[in-house]
Amino acid sequence: MPRYLCLQRSIPGGDDSQPSPSDMQAMYAKFNEWRAAHEAQLVDLGGRLGEGRLETSGPIDGPFVEVKELAGGYMIVEAESLEQAAAVARGCPGLVRPGSGVEVIEIRTP
Amino acid sequence: MSKGSNEPFFRRAYGRLVGQLATRAGTHHLAAIEDAVQVSMMRAVERWPRDGEPQNPEAWLYRVAHRELQGSLRRSARRQALLTEHAPPPEPDGGALLPLLSACCAEGQPERTRLVLALKLVCGFDVREIAQRLFMGEGAVRKRLERGRRALRAQGELGSFDAPSIRLMVYAIFAEGHLSHEAAVRAELCDEAIHLARTLVRTDGAPTSEALLALVLLHTARLPARRSETGALVLLEDQDRALYERAKIAEGLEALERSARGNAYTRYHAEAAVAAAHALSPSFEATPWQDVVNAYAHLERVSPSPLHRLNRALALAELGGAEAGLELLRDPPPSWLEGSYLWSLVLADLNRRAGHRQKAAYHRAQAVALAPEGPIRDAVRSRLSAV
Repeated sequence: MPRYLCLQRSIPGGDDSQPSPSDMQAMYAKFNEWRAAHEAQLVDLGGRLGEGRLETSGPIDGPFVEVKELAGGYMIVEAESLEQAAAVARGCPGLVRPGSGVEVIEIRTP
Repeated sequence: MSKGSNEPFFRRAYGRLVGQLATRAGTHHLAAIEDAVQVSMMRAVERWPRDGEPQNPEAWLYRVAHRELQGSLRRSARRQALLTEHAPPPEPDGGALLPLLSACCAEGQPERTRLVLALKLVCGFDVREIAQRLFMGEGAVRKRLERGRRALRAQGELGSFDAPSIRLMVYAIFAEGHLSHEAAVRAELCDEAIHLARTLVRTDGAPTSEALLALVLLHTARLPARRSETGALVLLEDQDRALYERAKIAEGLEALERSARGNAYTRYHAEAAVAAAHALSPSFEATPWQDVVNAYAHLERVSPSPLHRLNRALALAELGGAEAGLELLRDPPPSWLEGSYLWSLVLADLNRRAGHRQKAAYHRAQAVALAPEGPIRDAVRSRLSAV
């Protein structure tokens, strides 16, 4: 079954208010539910991405954005189709909301 | 924390963690402490679903918050003290929670500010949640928090705890919940008061604290019967007593029994006695009105208030007829209560029952006009519909 790389992307316009302890408890419960529901498809729950840099053969024109500004975290999902993988990722609590989205990319292995 | 339990674990842990860290780092660093606890909980939400919940979730949170705080106090002399200590296991909740609560209640701030501060630091509500629960604007909550935090920082260290001021605060949280128009808020704040009263009793075991615990338990036990399916307020005489929570009544009665030691008879004792009379009576008619009248008379002596007189008049009317109740209310009320629907409501009710139709109609109109809109005004109207 194809695997998909899910990258969390920050999107401008989110509110930066912090969740309350009650909110966090609710998120924790939802995350557990979501994980249990998709156990078989969650190949790698991944993690947060830290700093990174792009190594190139020479100078490149154009503005570059640092990796950390682009992506917040990654995970790998197994699914029949891009649509299915996107549905699993979309269901992950806290991933798709104002200020955050998820990019789902098929991993093609030879 | 056990999954699926209703206990607000994160909220409860919040107050204990802030208290423990403030004991070690001092209240000057309150902002850094709150941030550290927030970070530890965010980490938990990220990590626990992946790695499994730790054996002792609160100790895990404490370790992470402790490390986070060490990092943020890099330039402070306090860091040395925190560094030399290996994160100790969390203490039983009375350990640092009560000193923290006590510090929130310190003199010099208006009561509302202390309440906001306690709900934030001890009960783990955030600004938005406090605003919803106290029917305040978020800006107003933030202002009070700012002032309260400033006063708390100036205290420097958390000391021992002061039981009388903690009892007043627990009572204030309970009253805020008990009087709330919203069922969910009511249940939550009353539970919070029960939790804090239990913690206090476990720590100081004082008869007065036991009386407070009894009072909040016995009143809260009757909450499920206070609201009908349509959301209307249900008056005491119409309540389905089968809905009273038996477990809370049992625990409340045990506390009441333990409160009857020593020779202090406080307002908490008197109010708990009233609550017990109502919670135990099989029906409205069977209420031991003499006990209720006595308790309110006690209450007037230890804590004079026209509201207690009003309540005594109602109980007296059940015991000896409406005229007996009216007799007690012949003196005019203080001006602050004159403008309240409660006074008019009781006068309308008692005058109707005594057969004074004109007076009853006058007070009825007053009561309806003065009652806050919503379930309370509806209840007043339906209560007085026969007038």
